[in-house]
Amino acid sequence: MKYIGIILLAWLSIQNQAGQDLYACKNVKIDLFSSAPIEDIKASSTSGTSVYNATTGDIAFSVPISSFQFRKSRMQEHFNENYMESDKYPRASFKGKVQEHVDVTKNGTYPVTVTGNLDVHGVTQPRTVHGTLTIANGTISMASEFMVKCVDHKIDIPRLVFRNIAESIKMNVSATYTAASKPNPNNKLP
Amino acid sequence: MKKFLSLLIITAISTGLWAQTKPATGTTAADSLMNAMNKSETKNEPVIATFKSTRLILGSTTETVKKKNLNFLVIHRFGDFAGSQGGGKTFFGLDNSSDIYIGFEYGISNNLDVEFGRSKFAQQIDLGLKYAVLHQTSDNSSPVAITLLGKAGVKAYTDDVAFQTFGDRFAYVGQAIIARKFSSAFSLQISPTFVRHNSVFPYVAGNEKDMFALGVAGRLKVTKRLGIVVDYAHPFSSFRSNATGADAFYDPLGVGLEIETGGHVFTIVFSNAKAITESNYLSNTQSDWGKGQFRLGFTISRMFSFSPKEKKNDKY
Repeated sequence: MKYIGIILLAWLSIQNQAGQDLYACKNVKIDLFSSAPIEDIKASSTSGTSVYNATTGDIAFSVPISSFQFRKSRMQEHFNENYMESDKYPRASFKGKVQEHVDVTKNGTYPVTVTGNLDVHGVTQPRTVHGTLTIANGTISMASEFMVKCVDHKIDIPRLVFRNIAESIKMNVSATYTAASKPNPNNKLP
Repeated sequence: MKKFLSLLIITAISTGLWAQTKPATGTTAADSLMNAMNKSETKNEPVIATFKSTRLILGSTTETVKKKNLNFLVIHRFGDFAGSQGGGKTFFGLDNSSDIYIGFEYGISNNLDVEFGRSKFAQQIDLGLKYAVLHQTSDNSSPVAITLLGKAGVKAYTDDVAFQTFGDRFAYVGQAIIARKFSSAFSLQISPTFVRHNSVFPYVAGNEKDMFALGVAGRLKVTKRLGIVVDYAHPFSSFRSNATGADAFYDPLGVGLEIETGGHVFTIVFSNAKAITESNYLSNTQSDWGKGQFRLGFTISRMFSFSPKEKKNDKY
């Protein structure tokens, strides 16, 4: 009976892994930058997470809003409290598909187009974002730069302070992936 | 054998299910991986911005000035709005000022700041330390924020018979401020306070040198940048509660509007307390809302940051 159980478990885990080519990154670096008449606004986070399925091209990103570090603590407080409302919308995320098929076994730099949905401040917008995928000896890294318009995600800028804040924010995202061969924690075998 | 059969059946079913959902499995596995990675860190986030400023109307809030930031405060209380000292002849008190407070608060660390302030009322100079002991957390493992405030004030210049030695001119305030942000719109705090005057203030027979007081204050946001603030305090003093007639004392109560504009926080208030610093308004509020002895007042708080500057457009 024991044998059957073990065989069954082993077989199930193999089944689940079959066809999976998952890569994960736990420290996606995301920078936001905007140039405004009075002062530049700059913040960065290294707490983003991402999963890339090289077989299907599915790609997902997520970042806690409160992980963005600003130089000025007051600016950081306003970012969370007034603009992003991070208590209501704690995360920003992107879920999409890499349009080109990239062979992850071949070294090189590939320009890619990713189509998907960007969820910021509780408002989801369909987006097409350009970036690059770099493959060097099994290491996959991804970089992208794109703009986010505050108005697209219902981030209000009050008229009193709008000179201090730009209406669109430049985002820089970079991630280095490692293979995640056991995606389902239930499948871990001794 | 039965067990073996049932296992076989389960296997068959699970295989069947797996085969049917094959195209979706990729995303499901990716999703579960994503969820597993994101689970770990969203728990113990400290709750920020319980209040927008270090002051509400009368008292201090749990907020401290963050490291290398300087908060510059100008607090003003005009004269009586109505009553015998107010009305049209003083333009509803605007001709007079019952107290003017200029304050500086500098953040030594993110939880500790040092405060300096000078009042017109009794020409008092205050020096204080404020320390955030506990922060409220989003998972309610800490349901409240607690900040301790200690202040020493000296009335260095008032020419008063009460002060026989220079030591008599000192007053001390110790306060524990306990606050909770119930929602992004509503925050409430209570502040048990101890006040000590080395010489009784006001200098009247029967007045106590030491007393306890309790402050209750709250903020309700109307919009993201505009809120209604209320601040009340009750001194536990038999001398004060027994005083009647012209010598009667009243509990300080302030109501106001708090407006935030990026770098500044403005508060426009009505309050019966004439004085601004704790040891003065808790001990010496003898004006009554009912007699029109409330006044217009305002607080301006401006935060300056002294963290190292970044060059414009570097890196990008």
